[in-house]
Amino acid sequence: MSLTQSITSDGAPGSILLERVSKRFRKRTLMRKNYTTVKGQLLERLLGPSDKDSGMFTALDTITVKVKPGCSLGVIGRNGSGKSTLLKLVSGIYRPDSGSVSVNGRISALIELGAGFHPEFSGRENVYLGGVMYGLSRKEIDARFDDIVRYAELEDYIDDPVKTYSSGMYMRLGFSLAVHTDPDILLIDEVLAVGDAGFIHRCHDTISDFRRRGKTLLFVTHDLSSVERWCDEAIWLDKGVVRGRGEPRRVIDLYMQTVNEAEEEKLLRENEAAADAAPTSPQEISDNTAAQDDDDEREIRDPEREDGPGRWGNGEVEITDVKFLSKSGEKKWLFSSEDEAVIEVDYTINRPVKELAFGIGILRVDGVAVFGTNTGLESVEVPLPDFSVPVQGGFKGTYRFHIERMGLLESTYYLDVAAHKSDHTPYDYHHRMYKFSIRCTVPFHGVFNPKHSWSFDVSYATEGKTTRLEGTC
Amino acid sequence: MLRNVTEMWRFRTLISALVGRHLNARYRGSVLGFVWSFLNPLCLIAVYALVFKYYIRFNQVDNYTLFLFAGLLPWIWFSTGILEATASISGGGSLITKAMFPAHILPTVSVLTNLANFLFAIPLLIGFMLVLGVTPTWNLIALPFVLLNEGLFLLGLSLALAALNVHFRDIQHILGNLITLWFFLCPILYPVTVIPAKMRFTLIFNPVALYTSMYHDIFINGQFPSMLEFVYTLAVACMTFMVGNMIFNYYREEFAELV
Repeated sequence: MSLTQSITSDGAPGSILLERVSKRFRKRTLMRKNYTTVKGQLLERLLGPSDKDSGMFTALDTITVKVKPGCSLGVIGRNGSGKSTLLKLVSGIYRPDSGSVSVNGRISALIELGAGFHPEFSGRENVYLGGVMYGLSRKEIDARFDDIVRYAELEDYIDDPVKTYSSGMYMRLGFSLAVHTDPDILLIDEVLAVGDAGFIHRCHDTISDFRRRGKTLLFVTHDLSSVERWCDEAIWLDKGVVRGRGEPRRVIDLYMQTVNEAEEEKLLRENEAAADAAPTSPQEISDNTAAQDDDDEREIRDPEREDGPGRWGNGEVEITDVKFLSKSGEKKWLFSSEDEAVIEVDYTINRPVKELAFGIGILRVDGVAVFGTNTGLESVEVPLPDFSVPVQGGFKGTYRFHIERMGLLESTYYLDVAAHKSDHTPYDYHHRMYKFSIRCTVPFHGVFNPKHSWSFDVSYATEGKTTRLEGTC
Repeated sequence: MLRNVTEMWRFRTLISALVGRHLNARYRGSVLGFVWSFLNPLCLIAVYALVFKYYIRFNQVDNYTLFLFAGLLPWIWFSTGILEATASISGGGSLITKAMFPAHILPTVSVLTNLANFLFAIPLLIGFMLVLGVTPTWNLIALPFVLLNEGLFLLGLSLALAALNVHFRDIQHILGNLITLWFFLCPILYPVTVIPAKMRFTLIFNPVALYTSMYHDIFINGQFPSMLEFVYTLAVACMTFMVGNMIFNYYREEFAELV
């Protein structure tokens, strides 16, 4: 049902059509200085509107969206891309500044948790008030009341004031009410996320059932997997324009690719900023700290050093640049789990040293040490130059650490690099100064993604004949 | 305007449920609860009676306390109703911004909630009349018509002010002061007869003053309200209702963005 929406009578119920719709907001609305004063209005009248466009923010810019009855459309996009505005236009809460919105059929909208609920009133009273708001008569609500409460799993709390409800309870009651009003179109704006696993499961069932009955679903979410599961079509909004539309998988990939690129750029900037901010030379470390640093594991786990980035060592060898390179040699800080990569470290030997070892450490952002090694551990000899030859500006070198396959799961990681003596006394230790991210298409559990495959071998005998099924994946 | 009226009818269950819930909510959590809706006007009447009847010794009216009673009850409906209605949309919160909610229901509910309070107090007024030996007359049948008349006026004013207040929040503060002035311009503390005859014509600019006289006629004077005044105020009320709806419709599309 739509309360303030013009309902077109032609065609099957459940269609949504937005034609060349634009929506702009005044900036002052966004800044929450959301009302004018008589004085301000008078001044504006007298002085003339001051450059109208500069004070406006375009939330949606001439977009056309068509949803056929029985179709489910997922809307994805970053925060502030206009997704919620789109939903509010469809539900009739907002009017478009230009273009037309026509909606055919009864709408139920779940735009915000508990919107329309009165906190002082019991769940029961709110079900009745909400039902009436959705256009049901008292009798119709009576008939559905038990179902609504049972579905929301609120039998024991239905007579408590809703202000005592948890956000999950709010959501369950709102969702239950919305689906029990028998709408032709269901609008959902990212509210299901607060439900517990059990309820989410039933939401999924309900939405599947809803789709099976040929109802229309318009769905805004950041959970891309549910878009893929539920939607026949997806649109990707970016800064108020449609950047992609069509088959969900394709739109999601397109969206993810752009998000990843943006994130890569951000990581690049961050790492550059971190390198700039870090001490330009390693800090001298005191003797007692050095004595404790007897193995890499403890070094990384040292809780005092886990707070933030740091750099220490006596500076006899200095690490001057750290880069993550892709297979093709370009600088990158975002990789897929399957990617090949090279860590390239430039260093300068400032004073003659008798021994030199290099280390690499990878920490997950939550502090889990994922991997650590050094040249000493793997008996790799680091070539030392002939120090008897006088050179200007020290001996410069580069070491590369080749990774054939990242094998990490989706997360953000810190990269530690170090130059040290064989007893781990550091020349230059860069801790948590570099950040990189891994993207993984499958949401695996754990920390490690070994190269793997599945195969099957099933056999059974029937009337002397043995059937074998085989499969690999 | 027609759409507003038909929608009000369509959502009558919602309106009545909301009125119920407001009446309930107003005194929820207070010990005396609903009794307050009687106690509040009674306290006011007691103070006015003390000041004007015993301190100032105002003796132009018989049964001055009863006179106050009959004038104050509708005034409380009018003043509280308009103040609540004005703030109803700007204070509507997520109902306006996040839910598919017909906005004009909110001022309507404010007006009706306070009307209900007024109606609940009428038996008290009649009881008071009986105690003082003033018998209610058949003229009481005029009451619903006067209520409808004033209700239309109040609703029109409320819709306009509620819509304007979303844009100009000064209105609710200005109105708070204005209402006090308005109170003294209505013949509630004094009868119309104390106004010099030359000045009496000014009352036609104040429909609420005319309504007050009508309530006095119905309850105390035991006479039917002047037909001329009734028709005149009804015309003003209809105009106000129409203009109120126009102003409301002009602004309604921006409520969700500005609240």
